Amino acid sequence: MSMTIRVIIDILLAIGVFFTLVGVLGIIRMPDVFGRLQASTCIPSLGNIFLIAGGIVYAIATNVTEPGTYVKLAVILLMVLLTNPISGHALCKAAYKMGALPKSKMVIDDYKEDDPE
Amino acid sequence: MIELLIAAIICVVLDLVLLVRVLNGPTAADRLCATDAVTLVTALGLAMYSLYTGRIIYLDIALVDAALGFIGTVFVSRYLEGRL
Repeated sequence: MSMTIRVIIDILLAIGVFFTLVGVLGIIRMPDVFGRLQASTCIPSLGNIFLIAGGIVYAIATNVTEPGTYVKLAVILLMVLLTNPISGHALCKAAYKMGALPKSKMVIDDYKEDDPE
Repeated sequence: MIELLIAAIICVVLDLVLLVRVLNGPTAADRLCATDAVTLVTALGLAMYSLYTGRIIYLDIALVDAALGFIGTVFVSRYLEGRL
């Protein structure tokens, strides 16, 4: 493996770990449920994309592993990217319906106007 | 390549940090959000570790972990919403 490819993999992994760290810090430090949900979106979008991209570059650059490794990595990347908005929507709706609203008064509440019940 | 192992260890440490929010989240939605993040970070760490050791069976485990985390989050969300 040449030095250039190794530096590229290092940069991708560092960006991915940074965004995962930002998402975890947001979950720990944000004041209410919706802030935490919004901060946790960093993990499956940017952290996932950059970490798995570094893994794909590593698997293509070194042919020592089994064939099909980067295909499995791409399947993990696409599946997490496609399924996480669904679970995020379901979780946000559940938080709204069970009454976990923020302490401060909400400025705008569009869901209440569209609520069929 | 040691960087993959470092990334996997950082993912494990972030999992342990997320358990704080799972333990003392004020509502059930907080705990569920943190649990979803735990499954995702575990899947990423398993992917990095499988590339480090060269055992590709861990990639399958990461895939199943991500899928089961998604299904569990959706089901518990529907339960909290009161429609299950």
